[in-house]
Amino acid sequence: MTDPLIRLRGVNKYYGDYHALRDVDLDIAAGEFFSLLGPSGCGKTTLLRTIAGFEGVSGGSVAIGGRDMTRVPPNKRPTNMVFQSYAIFPHLSVAQNVGFGLRKRSDLNDDARRAMVADALDMVGLEGYGGRAATALSGGQRQRVALARALVLQPKVLLLDEPLSALDRKMREQMQEELIRLQRHIGITFILVTHDQEEALVMSDRIAVMFDGAIAQLAEAEDLYRRPVDQRVAQFIGVMNFLPAAVAADSVDAPGLGRIPLDAVGVRARANDAPTIGFRPEAVTLLFPGQDAPDRVTDATVAEVVYYGDMTYYDVCLDGTDAKLRVSMRNVYGREVMEIGQRTRLAWSPGAMVLFT
Amino acid sequence: MNQETTRGLTLIAPPFGYAFALLALPLVAVLVLSFWSQDYLTIDRGFTVANYVEAVSDPIYRTLMGRSLLIAGAVTLVTVVLAFPVAYYVSFRVAPRHKSLWLFLITIPFWTSYLLRIFLWKVMLGFNGVINSALTGIGLIDEPLTFILYNANAVVITLSHAFAPFAILPIFVALEKIDRSLLEASRDLGETAFTTFFRVTLPLAAPGVVAALLIVFIPTVGDYVTPAQVGGPGGLMIANMIQTQFLALNNAPMGATLAILAMLCVTVVALAVVWLSRRLAGGGAR
Repeated sequence: MTDPLIRLRGVNKYYGDYHALRDVDLDIAAGEFFSLLGPSGCGKTTLLRTIAGFEGVSGGSVAIGGRDMTRVPPNKRPTNMVFQSYAIFPHLSVAQNVGFGLRKRSDLNDDARRAMVADALDMVGLEGYGGRAATALSGGQRQRVALARALVLQPKVLLLDEPLSALDRKMREQMQEELIRLQRHIGITFILVTHDQEEALVMSDRIAVMFDGAIAQLAEAEDLYRRPVDQRVAQFIGVMNFLPAAVAADSVDAPGLGRIPLDAVGVRARANDAPTIGFRPEAVTLLFPGQDAPDRVTDATVAEVVYYGDMTYYDVCLDGTDAKLRVSMRNVYGREVMEIGQRTRLAWSPGAMVLFT
Repeated sequence: MNQETTRGLTLIAPPFGYAFALLALPLVAVLVLSFWSQDYLTIDRGFTVANYVEAVSDPIYRTLMGRSLLIAGAVTLVTVVLAFPVAYYVSFRVAPRHKSLWLFLITIPFWTSYLLRIFLWKVMLGFNGVINSALTGIGLIDEPLTFILYNANAVVITLSHAFAPFAILPIFVALEKIDRSLLEASRDLGETAFTTFFRVTLPLAAPGVVAALLIVFIPTVGDYVTPAQVGGPGGLMIANMIQTQFLALNNAPMGATLAILAMLCVTVVALAVVWLSRRLAGGGAR
């Protein structure tokens, strides 16, 4: 990435004594679908608003398209935003909402503006809705109007502040796919703020995970999931099982799993407190009677069964520990789901383990 | 009639009876009275429109009615124009935890009686009053200003002060209801803070402004205490004439006629304001 579209350097933000952003450095390339992911209060929205120009910085710089924008007000930035509440103007029609920002464009006549509004509505699947009152729309439709209103200005960057959080699950999944398609189609940079790790994994090229105002890890989705830098990130992205680990010179001991050579462990990461060994629910399997495993096998008891149709989540207790470990198994036609209390065997390999030291 | 309906009717009966006895009946009485005529000490109950003919043809009534509307219009304009910045400041600039304190402070002048406040304005505006003494004292004027008391200006000043909170509160409520992210959206879409005010804030505050216009205009048209006290001969309004007709001239039917005509004028103006604001606001959605 030689020339990033957005470059943040040493961005700090204080609200009184509260340190909302801590030394954020961030480069985002043109055409990227980028996500800021983190729990509420982690500073992700503040960071987005800093890029939009709604929040000034207490220190550091913001550059967009190679120009310093640190002190530039939002109306002079090549960014547009889709607000969490959508912020549709209730006193205007759908077409007037979408055309709101075009009025400043003195190079356009009314016909050109109308055509651009119609195109934008078309793009988000709202053709023919222009005459409607903005207040008469459903949540999903408002979302689309907000999207069209921002995109019609052809910004360099589209900022999305938890745009899908107010929608129901079906609608959310549909909008996720539409946003991905739209972004690929028009090719402009999208920056999405979300607290939903699944949403971030599904949609983004790269994800920055934030905690306490700082970026904890910046990586592509698969990297983030497989190679978390520390326990906090591992815990926030998906589900991970943790067992206390005793680390020796060339091996690690975990209750129930036994001794594992250090060089066989798949991923090494930073521990936020005591040394821990962890693995994802789908990185291991439970053996059904008659099945065999190539690598290690540990005896266990099924403690809980959560049936999802295509998947079943089992909580198992390894012999010799109290810890409940989650294992997800794809359901196979013709095979019974295990029952609570049933004896089973956990098959795993050291390569699937993440060691936090 | 089912039980639900009976219960509903029982519930609304007392307020309805109250409203009927104290609003509708007097109104009907005034309306009936306006079609009768005064025959020296007794009232002639024969139907006549003579009062209306006189009210419309005699220039004194027209002058007073016109002046009432003009003064009320001026009061409304002054009050709402001055109230808007106050409401805006409290809604947008005052910290949320201090807002109720501010509203409380705005109402403090209204703890004193209406009459007392009028007399205080007399003290302020008089020939040797506070304003004139101060201005002469600092040498800004040689002669005391005479255009600020016992004329229409004095009525406008006094009434504008009296109705300030009635204008501030509805505008404040309308401004409070504006989703602040709309203002950010406007900035994001390229508008400056200044143009955002005219494209977003003002249109969304319009219902509050219209309410303020009506709340101030309707009672001021019929006010008679203020003009009687500070208006002088040139500041008298239609309500003073109605009072004179009923009490001094002992011509209740004529007073009733003038009251009905004043009501009609107010109704027409109020409807015009509502219609105009609907057109302005509705222009957006269609």
